Amino acid sequence: MIQFILRRLLFSIPVLFGILVLTFGLARAIPGDPCRAILGERATDQICEEFERRNGLDQPLPVQFLVYLRNVAQGDLGDSFRFRRPVSELLVERMPTTMELGFSAMLFAIVVGVPLGVFSARRHKSALDVGTMVGANMGVSMPVFWLGLMLAYIFGVIFRDTPLALPPSGRLTPGASPAPWYEVWGLVAEGADGNAFQVFLSRFYLLNAVLTLNGGLLIDALRHLILPAVAVGTIPLAIIARMTRSSLLEVLNQDYVRTARAKGLGERLVVLRHALNNALLPVVTVIGLNFGLVISGAVLTETIFGLTGVGRTLVDSITSRDYSLVQGFTVIIAFGFVLLNLAVDTLYGWLDPRIRLGQGG
Amino acid sequence: MAPGTASLRTRGRRAGSQSLWLEALGNLRRNPSAIAGMLVIGLLILVALAAPLVATHDPILSMIGQPGETGRLQAKAPCIPLLGCEGTLHYMGLDLNARDLYSRVIFGTRTSLSVGVITISLSIVTGTLLGLVAGYAGGRTEDVIMRLMDVVMAFPALLLAISIVTILGPGLTNALLGITITFIPQYARLMRASVLSLKEQEFVTAEQAVGAGPLRIIFAHILPNAVTPIIVQGTLGIGTAILDAAALSFLGLGAQPPTPEWGQILSESRNYVFTSPHLVFFPGIAIMITVLGFNLLGDGMRDALDPRLNRN
Repeated sequence: MIQFILRRLLFSIPVLFGILVLTFGLARAIPGDPCRAILGERATDQICEEFERRNGLDQPLPVQFLVYLRNVAQGDLGDSFRFRRPVSELLVERMPTTMELGFSAMLFAIVVGVPLGVFSARRHKSALDVGTMVGANMGVSMPVFWLGLMLAYIFGVIFRDTPLALPPSGRLTPGASPAPWYEVWGLVAEGADGNAFQVFLSRFYLLNAVLTLNGGLLIDALRHLILPAVAVGTIPLAIIARMTRSSLLEVLNQDYVRTARAKGLGERLVVLRHALNNALLPVVTVIGLNFGLVISGAVLTETIFGLTGVGRTLVDSITSRDYSLVQGFTVIIAFGFVLLNLAVDTLYGWLDPRIRLGQGG
Repeated sequence: MAPGTASLRTRGRRAGSQSLWLEALGNLRRNPSAIAGMLVIGLLILVALAAPLVATHDPILSMIGQPGETGRLQAKAPCIPLLGCEGTLHYMGLDLNARDLYSRVIFGTRTSLSVGVITISLSIVTGTLLGLVAGYAGGRTEDVIMRLMDVVMAFPALLLAISIVTILGPGLTNALLGITITFIPQYARLMRASVLSLKEQEFVTAEQAVGAGPLRIIFAHILPNAVTPIIVQGTLGIGTAILDAAALSFLGLGAQPPTPEWGQILSESRNYVFTSPHLVFFPGIAIMITVLGFNLLGDGMRDALDPRLNRN
């Protein structure tokens, strides 16, 4: 197993290196003079010369790339032009919101999608099956940002005065400023800043609420997360439901399932104990592939729901041409994406010995 | 080689492939998903071609000061006189600039369909060529091409497209280019896999033995046999490409105003969803129907044309 994981890690090194080359190349492909593109009208020849020297742009390209590699390895992703702060600091503060959104979206997709697929397969060609598949087809065809807007309208306006009402915007109720856990735990003096790791953890609002034993805050943070998570999770949900259904249908036709039935096992046991294990293998792969969708979904919906995550920051930076922020965020998201896929691969190898032994043995 | 052999061989191949295609077409005609998809797409193509006839107004003309228009026109709700509304006919209401939303959505069909078809065609051509070269040449060339494809695939597609368009500058053409690049690897991989498996088959070895050059082998023998999965993947890809283009326009990176494009219409009106939901509702439905059409057709084609990809 360890050998299998190491092999996979080794394989991802060239890809990670390629990501760095590509983002570096893209940043150098900005048409015209980067100084004038970034500084705009304020750029005079003198300012630009100074700018190029400070950013090392007067060096030959290979040297620039090596400097870039060194900086990334040291966690230095440059400074954001718009925020006038290091990009890495912004990432630490804003990544948790996106991760919370992504994981809850994925959780929603799996928890609803897998049972839907199982029910559909067990009642093949029933009204429930057809209905689920029509719904799933519509689900994969919807633009996620449109779904987000419609959910915000339905639960924020139409259901406004009913118990179904949900906040359509923000991560917490406006005015709420929860104490970070490291302050409550007395790790730092009141009002002082925590270190990067402490800040990072505290920006997971759900986690922070649990760590500070603040029930009201937990419920508030959860309520604000529902609509964005449903919006981002719907496409993966549809894909997972379809995949579970078709994969389970295939497995239910296999000999060993017939044997299980023949020896008198109840249908419930046959499906849950025997068939589902094998049917869920391809679903694991699909879940891995869906992380890309979740990231795109976050980029497209954070603005709609007023969440200050990585996606919204990225989108806002595009219009203000904050190149180093776009570049830094892209690199880190792509890295995270590769590592997530690696994790899914490993999980797959763990679940299915055929893969592990076939390739890693 | 005797002339008779060649003509026999050609005839054999033609007859074989013809019946295969006929069979595939027959399968397609019996597949409800494919039929539904074809109907939707056929209708959309008609709408796109006949947009000036189907639309009720000029898509970029403001209704302010037009005869018969009264009251506040910006973001006016839908008005259908037949259903009891007093005023001029506007199936989907007016947008923020008092333009007829229905006509904008109708003309938007042209943009979205062309974007979908153009991006996918470009990426199929590029991806297929790269896959062919990689699979046939092997060695270093293959390594370089396929590792490059791995890197492109390592990015979440939309994110890479955003980065590319950020660098190149916003606009529909650059958005097209960005989306095209994100789609190339899947066709390159499909093609390479087909080439690798076909290269070793007897009919290809036989061609080589009678002295056929690599170009002839690639275009006359390998390509026709590898085209089915590409077509299926391409049809499914059109839907995704349309969604991506709408997303880029929604972010302000794709089509620019006043071009009627669905994502762009949504982008203009997203801050008004609480007061004028019709502005958001209709363009989104249009995107969904279009993408649904291509997905249904793609699924149907997968079932009908390619038993290897059949997941049901």
